[in-house]
Amino acid sequence: MTKLVHDGTPEGIHAAVTGWLELNWTTEAERGANASDEGMRAWLTKVRDAGLATPSWPEEWFGLGISARKAGIIEKAFRARKAHGWGRDRFHLGAISVFKMGSEELKREVLPDLLAGPICCLLYSEPNAGSDLAGVRTRAEQDGDEFVVNGQKVWTSNAVEADYGMLLARTNWDVPKHKGLTFFLFPMRQDGVEIRPINQITGESEFNEVFITDARVPARYAIGEVSEGWKSFQTAIAYERLIMAQGGTERRGRQNEPTTPLLIDLARRKNRIDDTSLRQKIAQAIAYRQLNSLNNKRAKAEIAENGASSLMSLGKLAMSRIQHGDARVAAEVLGPEALLSGTPNPDAANASFDAAKAYMNSIGGGTDQIQRNIISERILGLPKDDAVDRDLPFKDVKTG
Amino acid sequence: MSTLSNEERQALCDMFERLLRDRASLESLRSVVAQPEKYDRSVWKELAELGLLSLMINEESDGIGGDAQDLQAIMEIAGRVLFPSPFLSTAVFAVELLQACKNDQLKQECLSDIAAGETIFAVSKGSSTGSWLDETKLSASKSSDTWSLNGVASYVVDAPRADEILVCANTSSGLRMFCVSASDADVQILETDDPSICLGNVSFEGVHAEILDDLDEAAIAHALNTTLVGFAAHQAGATHAIFEQTVEYLKTRYQFGRPIGSYQALKHMAADLLIEVESAITVSREAAAALANGKPNAAQLVSLAAFACADSFRDVSAAAIQLHGGIAYTMEHDAHLFWRHARAGQWLFGTSDQFREQYLQTWEDAA
Repeated sequence: MTKLVHDGTPEGIHAAVTGWLELNWTTEAERGANASDEGMRAWLTKVRDAGLATPSWPEEWFGLGISARKAGIIEKAFRARKAHGWGRDRFHLGAISVFKMGSEELKREVLPDLLAGPICCLLYSEPNAGSDLAGVRTRAEQDGDEFVVNGQKVWTSNAVEADYGMLLARTNWDVPKHKGLTFFLFPMRQDGVEIRPINQITGESEFNEVFITDARVPARYAIGEVSEGWKSFQTAIAYERLIMAQGGTERRGRQNEPTTPLLIDLARRKNRIDDTSLRQKIAQAIAYRQLNSLNNKRAKAEIAENGASSLMSLGKLAMSRIQHGDARVAAEVLGPEALLSGTPNPDAANASFDAAKAYMNSIGGGTDQIQRNIISERILGLPKDDAVDRDLPFKDVKTG
Repeated sequence: MSTLSNEERQALCDMFERLLRDRASLESLRSVVAQPEKYDRSVWKELAELGLLSLMINEESDGIGGDAQDLQAIMEIAGRVLFPSPFLSTAVFAVELLQACKNDQLKQECLSDIAAGETIFAVSKGSSTGSWLDETKLSASKSSDTWSLNGVASYVVDAPRADEILVCANTSSGLRMFCVSASDADVQILETDDPSICLGNVSFEGVHAEILDDLDEAAIAHALNTTLVGFAAHQAGATHAIFEQTVEYLKTRYQFGRPIGSYQALKHMAADLLIEVESAITVSREAAAALANGKPNAAQLVSLAAFACADSFRDVSAAAIQLHGGIAYTMEHDAHLFWRHARAGQWLFGTSDQFREQYLQTWEDAA
């Protein structure tokens, strides 16, 4: 297969990718990709080899060496045709981490495969390392040219589907906690990896526990240097946040805001719209949402102008108040109907689901309390709290 | 749309900021508001000389021709030092109303007097609460081409220092606006908790009034919205200022051998307040932009700005005293000046509950 031929101009790239899709994304190709894993792999391989999966990467690494803005033209063309495989340079965290931080050898060994299908999950949090991620206790011990891994990870989404996990594990217990960590590309499909789904308070099961017992990872699969994993990990989560922010924007862009806010609609259907006290609460709930979207708009304008905006860090915390608040007001609109559940009571079921789901925002990805620490320290410049374990060898750190 | 370029607006703001720094700093506030008129006439004259009193006056009437966004920028600066003056009543609300009416002689005289800093206006709905969302208690009757007003307008901003009063009254053909010479009405000065505002009750007993021609309720609403944007910006600026001062204190005050800002109990409060501060600034700017550009959601954003800025200012200034601790429980400290002004802001043009109700109606109407 050959790379996409184009002249480098936006118009030329657009014409080239449209032509390529016309030729390759045929009805048969689409049917084939959707029919089986092999079919999908064949399609993704084709996209990879044409440089279309990671167009912003250099030509020697499956890319076209074009700017992110021009790569956007390719994504847009793929999305318009509902073709798979675009944007791996923006959304495939495993491939991005290996490409940006992996050794030459690792890149040659795994990138071709990573770009042709495999899914990566995140093996970060542990039962005793949630907010304090640098306190992970999963152990990786060298045995020849491999590491033997033992420990437990939690809150892993897509664990069952994943071929690899981005693993944060401790390789040195005699140094302070940030200094003894290694970041691995960890093969998931092996004995010694047991996955158990978590039943969430929403009734969903998006996450898993991953139990790792004497599992093995080649030493060359370390992303970045051994025991310098905290640095690699920080880079990886920076990409992850970028992905989440972009994903959030694109999701919002796709679905149109309803013209009538849902709470007004609910109050009308329940004949509560004339209740003056409820009206105040509904108005305030809508206001918090609108204020947040206006702040996001201002943040984007500031980023376009200055390259950065401190407002970006406020959105997640603001969203907690919005989601918990909306769910509370919805239940108040429902009155005692909010006690009910099940398919005969969709409004109540939705309200209860939303009330539970709000914790996803206020706990997941850093609790509101951690978020407040970050905002007050990084934006307001308030002093850090003393961390008692910062300079202790990790083996001497107290655990609960 | 404004006739000012971005550079011109920035130059105007810089000039205003310099004037306030030199002549109307927070330190001078206490002595200024101790005087009966509660504002500095010499600073007022300088505002006239710098052209700031004609900010909102059209170019045809020899003004600057500024719009809501220019006003927003100026008022954010004024808010930072709780600048005490009849600016919003005179140079904004009265100007907007006069410009919309057809009384050419009155208009030209008043606008040039305002621009020159010679006439102070108060503007009132004529309600019993001072709120623009409550109904007017005044009635107007006409006999042989002259109008006379009867009734009491309460909690009228700037009435005790006004030369002219613009007031709403009910007529047989609906709500209309009138201009009255303050000396013809009976103005009772009210003692206020917030030293930086000036309030009075005004009684009209058969007082002669000039009706503002062709000024309907839509025109009054537009002038009110511009004023509300100005006040929201003033509150946003004040919120920002007291918050900055508080964060600075959290960094410099030590207890138990460390800055109190290192304690999570306080830094978490500060993080939450930052959302309030930024939201206030954002929404006052967005409302101003929507109004200046005639956007269909302008009224919705003005209502939102009115209660969001008032409530943010109330919450941030109240927390500022708590975060400072004992030092802010003293009269000498400035925090209570912000807090008192924030409490006043809960009432001056309408309550937050009233604006929230109005805001919800804009969403219902939009559907």
